[in-house]
Amino acid sequence: MPDKVQWVLDYKEALAKAKFEGKFILLDFFNPE
Amino acid sequence: MDTVTYPNQKVIDFLQKRVIPLQLLSNAEPYVSDYGVKWTPNLLIIDAEGKVYHRAVGFIAPVDFIPWLLLGMGKAFFEKDLFKEALECFETLITEYSYSGSAPEAVFLRGVAQYKSTHQVDGLKNAYRVLQEQYPGSDWAKRAYPYWLLP
Repeated sequence: MPDKVQWVLDYKEALAKAKFEGKFILLDFFNPE
Repeated sequence: MDTVTYPNQKVIDFLQKRVIPLQLLSNAEPYVSDYGVKWTPNLLIIDAEGKVYHRAVGFIAPVDFIPWLLLGMGKAFFEKDLFKEALECFETLITEYSYSGSAPEAVFLRGVAQYKSTHQVDGLKNAYRVLQEQYPGSDWAKRAYPYWLLP
């Protein structure tokens, strides 16, 4: 297992991965400041 | 979340195994408008079509985050009428994270999912009993109150 979360950073890519892998998505809107 | 919750190894393992973790900036249009984001952190469980099933605004500690995710996944399965998968999420949450703020809702929804999958009222009556015994001050105990009247 990785030692940090491997985030997907593209919305459409995440939808495609979710469909392909049969998973739901955790969508985190964040403010880096 | 980035400094406390996401570096937690149990959280990392859960996210990598069980969901697609997607992070977007708080100014990422059109998504911020589409999802009505007004404050961060703003966390959602969505499906491959973008439909929202569960949401939280504000920080969630590592100890509460996995149960929050399980509740969201369970709600998503439930709304898709996938009751077996929903019940697996709710059971794990109730068994392993009974202390969490997500547990009372999971008890309630477990009862409803059991009823929807079996058409037996025992699940609803059990939800009422567990909520009264273990989470008597929760909103979900109040919402389950009518189930006490079932035959």
